[in-house]
Amino acid sequence: MPVPLTARLRALVGAEGVVDRPEALAVYECDGYTLARAAPEVVVLPRTPAEVAAVVRLLAEARVAFVPRGAGTGLSGGTLPIAAPVMVCTSRLREIERIDVGNRRLVAQAGVVNQWVSDAVRAHGLCYAPDPSSQPACTIGGNVAENSGGPHTLKYGVTTNHVLGVELVLASGEVVQLGGMVEDRPGYDLTGLVVGAEGTFGIVTRATLRLTRLPAAWRTLLAVFASVDAASEAVSAIIAAGIVPAALEMMDRLIVRAVEAAYGAGLPAEAGAVLLVEIDGPAAGLDAQAARIEALCRAHGATEVRRARDAAERAALWKCRKRAFGAVGRLAPNYCTQDGVVPRTRVPEVMRAIAAAAERYRLRIGNVFHAGDGNIHPILLFDERDRDEVARVLAAGRDILEACVALGGSLTGEHGIGVEKAAQMPLLFAPDDLLAMTRLRAVFDPEGRSNPHKIFPDAKVCVETRTPRRQAAL
Amino acid sequence: MTVDGVVPGSVVRPASVAEVQAAVRTAAAEGRALVAAGRGAHLAIGAPPRRLDVLLCLERLDRVLAHEAADMTVTVEAGCSLARLAEVLAAAGQWLPLDPPRPEATTVGGLVAANLSGPLRASQGTVRDLLLGLRVVGADGALVTAGGRVVKNVAGYDLPKLHVGALGSVGVIVEATFKVRPRPACEEAVALACPEVRAAADAAIAVRDAVEPLWLEVDGTTVFVGLGGLVEEVAEGRAAVRAVAAARGLEAVVLADGSAVRARLAAFPTEPAAAVLRAAVLPLDLGATLADVEAAARAEGACVRWAAHASCGVVRVAVAEPAAVAPLVGALRPRIAAREGTLVVERAAAAVKRGLDVWGDTGSGLDLMRRIKAAFDPAGIFAPGRFVAGL
Repeated sequence: MPVPLTARLRALVGAEGVVDRPEALAVYECDGYTLARAAPEVVVLPRTPAEVAAVVRLLAEARVAFVPRGAGTGLSGGTLPIAAPVMVCTSRLREIERIDVGNRRLVAQAGVVNQWVSDAVRAHGLCYAPDPSSQPACTIGGNVAENSGGPHTLKYGVTTNHVLGVELVLASGEVVQLGGMVEDRPGYDLTGLVVGAEGTFGIVTRATLRLTRLPAAWRTLLAVFASVDAASEAVSAIIAAGIVPAALEMMDRLIVRAVEAAYGAGLPAEAGAVLLVEIDGPAAGLDAQAARIEALCRAHGATEVRRARDAAERAALWKCRKRAFGAVGRLAPNYCTQDGVVPRTRVPEVMRAIAAAAERYRLRIGNVFHAGDGNIHPILLFDERDRDEVARVLAAGRDILEACVALGGSLTGEHGIGVEKAAQMPLLFAPDDLLAMTRLRAVFDPEGRSNPHKIFPDAKVCVETRTPRRQAAL
Repeated sequence: MTVDGVVPGSVVRPASVAEVQAAVRTAAAEGRALVAAGRGAHLAIGAPPRRLDVLLCLERLDRVLAHEAADMTVTVEAGCSLARLAEVLAAAGQWLPLDPPRPEATTVGGLVAANLSGPLRASQGTVRDLLLGLRVVGADGALVTAGGRVVKNVAGYDLPKLHVGALGSVGVIVEATFKVRPRPACEEAVALACPEVRAAADAAIAVRDAVEPLWLEVDGTTVFVGLGGLVEEVAEGRAAVRAVAAARGLEAVVLADGSAVRARLAAFPTEPAAAVLRAAVLPLDLGATLADVEAAARAEGACVRWAAHASCGVVRVAVAEPAAVAPLVGALRPRIAAREGTLVVERAAAAVKRGLDVWGDTGSGLDLMRRIKAAFDPAGIFAPGRFVAGL
């Protein structure tokens, strides 16, 4: 990095907005995906969207590649700098610029934390629907890049369904306003293309979000089953009954035991699987629907069904699900969360494939996941000091994703491809499919300077694979 | 079949994806311009084609390839009509909740390419919210798979979105996979007749805030509220709508067959008119926009009717006289643009479109759009001139 560039960056964003001391850069050497690490040469933290544009213009003049980063909670290594000396962090763009309650819209800068959006509008009976588990930390900019999901996406959709427009700084430094406050703009759906592009189209500095009315009421049930198969059949029965729950989450035996050991929630230790079901909407009919769900669970072998009677009991039921990751932390020094998707009827099969991988690679693997979406999250336990075990974790992860694809699913439901899964993209997409994607990449970033070497199998992961730390919970 | 009065040099009716690929390859090799069509129900959308050598009719590609009811997904060929798809889905108590006009003549490919929607968008979203995957024949004849068949998927770019509303300008859609949903057990409508448009728009917003309507339309000066779900949910909604009406001194009339009312309202864009304009504004600007429409029509001495998807801020204006279309567009576009909105001439007779920019301003993304067209259709064989800015 030529010194004059760093000096010019300081001139643009202030001395405190440029980090280049090696010990300070260590913070930025990985995100939530810790199995690969690389520190950037310099980190820039602009204060405003205009400063982001100025920084990117400067980098364009110097023809320097860069990596956009929000809060660094991503789980696929999307912010790992590979042949990109500069990291541009949007975490200081923290302003909610516009709240339009009547039209149910909100304009947030990229560094606004997901949770702040819902907090800002709750008093008006509204919320921002996508709720990734990292929502107290992750930013809107990162959510847009990854097209983030969460437990409530079954009914409410993912990020792309709630983003109406973005301000995008292209790698050239040019700023474009795509979409906006109003629906149905003529032209290609550029906003829809930018969401989920993992920062390879440029840096999103602002997003126009759709706000959702808070449900008038909800019912939450927790059902205990002897096996994942039985719980999966109950899921299918609920869907077949024409019910679309707001959330349908499953935990398997290992996770249930871990939760029980850690928190003593009173779950039976012999439970093979626990299903958490939440329905919401107008109060009328919810009780009848909850009764129906309970009956369906029992008909499919549920040994116990608990129904939350108030907000405190609801929180207690959700605690089992939300604390699963913390509980797993007690079972092993480290864990790695995978993210794959299968058609929801294939959940029992993919669970068997995961069990087979656990056996094959002598690993313990637990499962806590979005059963309604078929979005699995196997948690692979390991000890980072055991190099052989780390290698087996990586191999088992690959096998599990291959099983997902073979069952008609996908490599990722909400964590993104990043560097983690780039090499496996050809499992899912033929050369012509990938060519169409790289064509689109070249439209937005012809020089390939925004987040290079991500998503596509040419990714040169020439980074140090060091001892991993514990991965952040999804 | 003609496209805006342009007679195609030839009409090709492929019976397979391979035949679509062959037709595209031939067109590319010979430098011919090609427009893909279903049954022609919505060909009046878009600008007139600059050239038209081959009309590619996809109605023979009409198979429902896989309805996975338990997974709530369906994969269907582009030429299948929405009415036939609806029959298949209804057998499992499900639907694809997109309700454009003329479902019997609207194909899946047309639905996606023209980004068609109807009243249900108020609660169910539009094509972009329900589309999971596409197979598209590109300008080089290659068959490209975009997206997938699972309900949650962030592997690679969201390429299906490129084709939604692109009017076939970047490829020929041959297959689509959608999320489907359970059909509500009951569907009922409540009508509130209002004294004038602003009162109707205000009442619609009040209804939106009081209940979760399945759909919410303003037709003329009447608000139509669609209520769906279990019997008790509908009853609760009906009571809430009645309360809104009573507070405004309006009469609420319950119409038991809600889906029939909705089908009638959905047909608005294809009813006879010289042109149908389509404005998109913020939901709270609906009343002011409708008042503008009324005033502009009066000033031009034009006879217009309007209908709106109230909670989405989408207004359609049917103009009776061909001569009034251009002046109305000219008068309304700046007013709507001042409210961050857009106005397109959604459908018009070929003669009316002449000299008219049917799409209007596309904003600062236009350069990217041009580059997309150049990247995906370098020789300009796909529907040249039909899309925004002459793309």
